[in-house]
Amino acid sequence: MKKIFFAVCLYLPVFLSGQLVVDTPLSARLTGYDIDVVLEPVSHIVKGDMTAWWVNNSEKPVVDAMMHMYLNAFSSNMSSFAKGGQWSPAGDEGWGWVKIRSIYDYKGNDLSDSMNFQSPDDGNTHDRTVLQILLPEPVLPGDTLRFSINFESKLPSPIDRTGYADDFHFVAQWFPKFGVYETAGMRQREADGWNCHQFHPNSEFYSNHSVYNVSVTMPEEYVAGSGGMLIEEIFPGDSLKKVVWRAEDIVDFAWTAWPEYKSVTRKWRGVDITLLTTDAGLKKADNQFAAVIYALEYLDERVGPYPWPHLTFVDPPMSGAGAGGMEYTTLFTSAGGGLVPSFLKLAEMTTIHEFGHAYFMGILASNEFEEPWIDEGMNSYWEQRIVDHHYGDGYGLIRLPFIKMSDSDQGRLGYITSPSRSISTNDLPSWLYPHGTYGMMSYDKAAAWLHTLEGLIGTETMDKLFREYYRRWAFRHPSGRDFISVVNDVVREEHGDRFGENMDWFFEQVLYGNEICDYRVAGVTSHKIKSYSGVVEGDSVTYTRSDRTSDTLYISRVSIERLGGVSLPAEVLIGFDDGKELLERWDGKESYKDYEYTGATRVIWVKLDPDDKIDIDVDRINNSWSSTQKFYASRRMTDKFVFLMQLMISMFTL
Amino acid sequence: MAVLKILGKGAAAAVSSYKLILLIWVTTMVMVFMVALPLRSFLSNIFGNSMAVTRLSDGFDLGLAGDMGKPFVSLLSAVSMGGLLLLLAGFLLYTFFAGGLFASCASGWGRLKMSTFIRESARNFLPFLKIAVLMMLLIAAYTFFIVGIPIIVTMAISGGSKGSSNFIYLFYAIWALGMPVWLFVADASRRWVAATGSGNVFMALSAGFRALKERFWVSYGIVLVILILNASFVFLSIWFTGWSIPEKGGLIFLFFMATQALFIIKLFMKTWRYASVCALASQKK
Repeated sequence: MKKIFFAVCLYLPVFLSGQLVVDTPLSARLTGYDIDVVLEPVSHIVKGDMTAWWVNNSEKPVVDAMMHMYLNAFSSNMSSFAKGGQWSPAGDEGWGWVKIRSIYDYKGNDLSDSMNFQSPDDGNTHDRTVLQILLPEPVLPGDTLRFSINFESKLPSPIDRTGYADDFHFVAQWFPKFGVYETAGMRQREADGWNCHQFHPNSEFYSNHSVYNVSVTMPEEYVAGSGGMLIEEIFPGDSLKKVVWRAEDIVDFAWTAWPEYKSVTRKWRGVDITLLTTDAGLKKADNQFAAVIYALEYLDERVGPYPWPHLTFVDPPMSGAGAGGMEYTTLFTSAGGGLVPSFLKLAEMTTIHEFGHAYFMGILASNEFEEPWIDEGMNSYWEQRIVDHHYGDGYGLIRLPFIKMSDSDQGRLGYITSPSRSISTNDLPSWLYPHGTYGMMSYDKAAAWLHTLEGLIGTETMDKLFREYYRRWAFRHPSGRDFISVVNDVVREEHGDRFGENMDWFFEQVLYGNEICDYRVAGVTSHKIKSYSGVVEGDSVTYTRSDRTSDTLYISRVSIERLGGVSLPAEVLIGFDDGKELLERWDGKESYKDYEYTGATRVIWVKLDPDDKIDIDVDRINNSWSSTQKFYASRRMTDKFVFLMQLMISMFTL
Repeated sequence: MAVLKILGKGAAAAVSSYKLILLIWVTTMVMVFMVALPLRSFLSNIFGNSMAVTRLSDGFDLGLAGDMGKPFVSLLSAVSMGGLLLLLAGFLLYTFFAGGLFASCASGWGRLKMSTFIRESARNFLPFLKIAVLMMLLIAAYTFFIVGIPIIVTMAISGGSKGSSNFIYLFYAIWALGMPVWLFVADASRRWVAATGSGNVFMALSAGFRALKERFWVSYGIVLVILILNASFVFLSIWFTGWSIPEKGGLIFLFFMATQALFIIKLFMKTWRYASVCALASQKK
C-alpha cells in the first residue's frame, strides 16, 4: 500500500501535467516549469512568474533545493565563467543576470531569506550560478516541492550561447532551474544528493527531463521559435503578441525572437521541422533541411526513434553568431548557413552535430558537466559517420578535385596533432581539463576511440550496442560506466569471448588512460636462401648442396612495432610478389612482432591495420611499407602544382 | 566582321611568334620547377616507402596532415611562400617578356630574332612595369567600386546576413564586362611604348585610352572575345587537371606533357590578345 501511495505521489505531477505533445510520458518527469514572462526588447530583460516543481523520487527526506542560475555567470567578471577568460561585456549594457524577486513554497512561505549561493566546484565565492534554497520543512519521499517565483533575467551581450545583439535575442539558460537530485547508485553515486554544478567556460548542462508550459509576450513584429510546440499566439493589443509553447520530456527550454527571421517548414515522418533563418540563409534552406533529415533517418535507424513531433532549428545572423552551434534537444542552432561556400560542408556538419544532441544528452541525458565525452564524443562520432556517409563519397567535409577531407579525419586531426594529447585521461569533468584540452579530449579523442571500437567489433555490433544503449537508458541519466556495461553485454553476446571476458581493457586504455596508440612497420627484408650451406672446419670449408636445383627460395621477415602505450589487436596484410596476400592478426600485446615466410615468393608490401580501423593511431604513414614505391602520387601532385602555378602566373599578369 | 578580321590577323601573328612563346614556356617551367622539385623531394621524404601516399591519388587528403606532423606545417609554408615568390617572379618575368612580344607584334610579325626579342624586352621593361603597376591599381580601384562597395553596403544594411544575394551577382557581371576595357588600355599603351620607343608612361596610357575611344566597339569586342575564350579554356584546363588521376609512370609523363601543351596554348592566347591589339593599331594607321 505504501508503495502504491509512493508511486501515485511520484507520478501525480505527470498526470496533472497532461499530454499535449507526445502520446505517453517518455520520462519520469520529476521536474516541470510553468513560465509566463514578458520580453522587453529595449532593455533586453525577460521578466515574469514561474511555477517550478520537483518530485522527491528518493527514499529519504530532502531538506534543501538546488537551482542553476546560469545567467549570473555574466553578472561579474569574477564569476568562474568570466574568469575563464572567454567573455566580457560589451559596455555597461552588456552584463547579464538572473534575479529572483520573490519566492514562495506551496504553503505560501516566503523563502527569500533562505537562499544562498554555493560554489561546489571551485569554492569561488564570487560565483552566483548555483543557488541553494533551505526549505522550512523537508520534502518527504514522493512529495512534490513547488515554488512560485517572480524573476527577472537580463540577457548578456555579446552573445555567448545566450544573449542579444540589437533586436536579435537568443534566450537560453535564462530561468532558475533545478539541479538533478541523484539517488544512491544512480551514475555510480554512493549517497543521495543534488548534482548542481557551477557554470564554467567549458561546461555544458545536466537536467531532468521536464514539462514546460511557457508563455512569452513580445512585440508583434518579432518572429519567435523555441524547443516547445506552438500552442497558440494571442494578440492582446498594444502591438504585442503572446506566444504559448509546451514542451514535454526535454532537458532544457530555450527560445529566440528576432523581427528579421524567415521561417521555413518541412515535414518528415510526422515530425514538423521548422527552420528560422536569415535572408541569405534561405538559399541554403534545402541543404539544411536535407542535413537534418539525413541525421534523423540515420539515427532513427541505428540508435532509436526520434520521439517528438516537432523540431526547430535556427541559423542565426552574423550579429548573433555567438548563439550558433548549440543544442537544446528540440531546438538547436546551426551556423554559417548563408555564408559558407557550398563545397565546404561546415554548415551541414554543424546542423547534423547539433541535431545529434537530441539523442546524446537530449534523450540519453548524461551529465555534461562531469562526463563531457559521453555526449560530445558520442555525438561527434555519429556526426562524422553521417557526414561521411551522405556527402563526398566518404570525404564528407570537402571533396574538390585538388583537395579532400573526411569529417572523421577532421576530428581525428584535432586529437593527433595536439601536443597535449597525453596530459590527461579522457574521463575528467569538463572544467578540469588542463591546458585548453577540453574540446580535443571531449570531442576529438572520444570520437576517435569510438571509431576504433567500431573498427574492432564491427559496424553491425556497434549499431546494435547503441540501439541497446538507447533501449536501456533513453530518458534516464546514463554514466560512462553504464555505457561500458552495455558495450560489454552486447560485445559478449555478439562475439563471445573473442575480445576477452569484457571490453574493460579497451576503456581502461582509451578512456581512463592517457597513453597514445602508434603502430609501425619497422622494416621488411627478403633474402635468397642459398642452395648450399658452407661450414668452416679447420682450414677448409665444407659445402653441402641441398636437394634444390636452383636458388629460388626466399626468406622474408616482416617486423612490426607498437610504439605507444595503447595495445590493441591489429590486422597485418602482407603482399607477395606473385600477387598473393596473407592476413595476419596480431594481439598487439608485445611491443614488437616479427613474421617470417620462406617460399618461392618475396614480401613486397605490408599494411598494418589495412582498413584504417584503429582511428586512434596517431601516425598512419608508418603503418605500411612497399618495396615498389615509385612516388607516383607525389610526382602527379608536383605536376599539377607546376601547371596550376603556370596558369596563375599567366592569369595574374596583364 | 571587323572584329573577326582583326582576330584572324592577331592569331596569325601569334602563331608566327611560336619561338618566343616556347622561350617563355621553357623559362616559366624552369622557374616553377625550382620550387616544385624540392617540394616533390620533400613529399617523397615524408612518405618514404609508405603506401599512405596512395591517399594523395585524387587530391591532397587533408586527413594525412596530422600524420605528417610538423613536416606538414613546413610543407604548407613552403607551398604558400614558394607560391607567392613564384607569382612575384612570374609577374616580373612576364612583364619583361611582354616588352619583346609587343615589339615583335608592333614591328613585324614574328620576324624578331631571339637576341632582338631579349633586347626589346629589356628596353621596354621599366615602362611596361610602370604601366602594369598603374593598370593593376586602376583595376583594383575599379573592383573596389564595382564589387566591394555594393557588398559592404549590402552587408551593412542586412547586418551581415546577406553575404551574396542575387543583387550582388549583377555587380559581378558588370565588373566582368568592364574588364576588357582595362585590358585593352593596358595593351594599347604597351603597344604605343613598343612602337614609339618612348618611356613616358602617362603619354602611353593616354594613347591607350585614345585608341579605345577611337574604335571602342571593335577594341572592346576583340578583347572580350579573347577573354571569354581564355576563361573557358582556363576552366576546362583546371577541370582536366583536377579530375585526371594517371596511375603509372608513363601515364604521369603523358599527363605532364598534356598540361604543358595546355599551358603553351594559354600563352598563345595571351600573345593572340597582344597581337590583335597591335593589328588593330596598324590597321588604323
